[in-house]
Amino acid sequence: MSSTTVALPGQDLGPTASNNVGAGTHIQGDHLFASVAGQIISTPSTTKGSKTPTLSILRPSSATLPEVGTTILGKITRTNPRQANISILAIGNTGERVCGEPFPALIQQQDIRATEIDKVKVTESFRVGDVVRAVVISLGDERSYYLSTAKNELGVVMAVSEGGHQMYPLSWKEFHDPVTGAKELRKVAKPV
Amino acid sequence: MQADRRRLNGPTSGTAPPVFATPPNWKVQRPTRSRKPDEHRKIFLRTGIVPSASGSAYYEIPPQTPSQQDELLIPQSSSLKVTCTVHGPRPLPRNAAFSPNLLLTTHVKFAPFATRNRRGYVRDASERDLGVHLETALRGVIIGERWPKSGCEVVITVLEGEEDAWWGDAGNEQDGGKAGGWALVDAGIDCVDMVSGGVAAVVQQGSADEKMDRDVVLIDPTPSEHYGIKAACVVGYLQSRDEVTEMWMKGDAGTDTEALVEGAVRAASLARTVLAEAIKEAVELRSDESHDNAHANGSAKAEKTKQKDVVMTG
Repeated sequence: MSSTTVALPGQDLGPTASNNVGAGTHIQGDHLFASVAGQIISTPSTTKGSKTPTLSILRPSSATLPEVGTTILGKITRTNPRQANISILAIGNTGERVCGEPFPALIQQQDIRATEIDKVKVTESFRVGDVVRAVVISLGDERSYYLSTAKNELGVVMAVSEGGHQMYPLSWKEFHDPVTGAKELRKVAKPV
Repeated sequence: MQADRRRLNGPTSGTAPPVFATPPNWKVQRPTRSRKPDEHRKIFLRTGIVPSASGSAYYEIPPQTPSQQDELLIPQSSSLKVTCTVHGPRPLPRNAAFSPNLLLTTHVKFAPFATRNRRGYVRDASERDLGVHLETALRGVIIGERWPKSGCEVVITVLEGEEDAWWGDAGNEQDGGKAGGWALVDAGIDCVDMVSGGVAAVVQQGSADEKMDRDVVLIDPTPSEHYGIKAACVVGYLQSRDEVTEMWMKGDAGTDTEALVEGAVRAASLARTVLAEAIKEAVELRSDESHDNAHANGSAKAEKTKQKDVVMTG
């Protein structure tokens, strides 16, 4: 990756006939233009139908918003019987992109797990302070993004027991406190 | 100016620097424009100066005329120093309604020490007006649909207003809009183009004794250098799309209106070249850091760009 292929906003990247629009670019007329400053990355097309490469521009990591479908890491801020409030702290499967400011979000009771939705209890799934991996399912209302943990690899990744000790996951629904030996109920994420 | 009860305020009458006795044969020289009518002053611009902001820029026009400091203690001219910071995209405040676009807010503030007349801490009407003009200039360049449910704040602080003994309270609104788009690109917010600002003015040309009846269009005017500015025009210009996002004209240009706008657009195009270099340098610096391969040519390139030492005054 050479440092010479730097695009500036408004720079012509070629006709749309030979390039596909990717992140950080936009189309005006029949040409592709850059919309952020950064390195141009050309990805060869994977589909058989089109041969044109996709041009995208690397943007600085600070400017990232949660989008529908992205995996996030967050911390539970409060719970009630219907939902758990969470603040999104980092974006990405392992938190590659740290948010400058936490984004408010919530997980509703029916989005906590995939099976036996009606038997889920929020208090048996999350506690305040848990670090949770979840996926964004909607931009939500004016305040919160809506998240879901209805997958095996989603759920609580780090939890602290009532005694204040870091716990280890035992099963899909239990965490184990190594100091007191107590077990606590959580919606546990499958380790990846 | 309304009283600000939350801070310890200086005297409302302003704090003028002490007046030193001038030599008896001293005569204050009015600065004269030494550059051509279509020549822009030199610009110093650097991005990424505020670590806590997601994008920032520092913009300065050092004084062009040689300083007369060997004769007087007080410098006769000041430079223009502007900082711009961009915060965001950040989540909207709790009471805000849902917005599918990026909510842009702009603030322009003169530092209390920026001008000869001391400014208040609270934004006054002229600063709010400047903020509105800046917002229109930037709104046309941002692709807001890419940032739903988030806000972005652009704050411009004028650290040193450009003025001197010949220019009383005219205000330097011309330059407020200039630095705006520059930090925005640094923040990585999607823009259709880089917006750059330009100023032009219609001035009356001629020496003091002859009758001043020739109107000349100049780009990048310095008010102190001209006897009578008839009209001034500020534009926010997108060069690669050939679009004007903001135009603001003051005064009566008469038949020269079109030439005035043309001049302002030309000034904006000139300012854009500096902007492009500064952004390119910042991007290269960032990519060098992220890939952790210190290119030898990276530093050589930095030398080549328009950076030069800042002449500090005062």
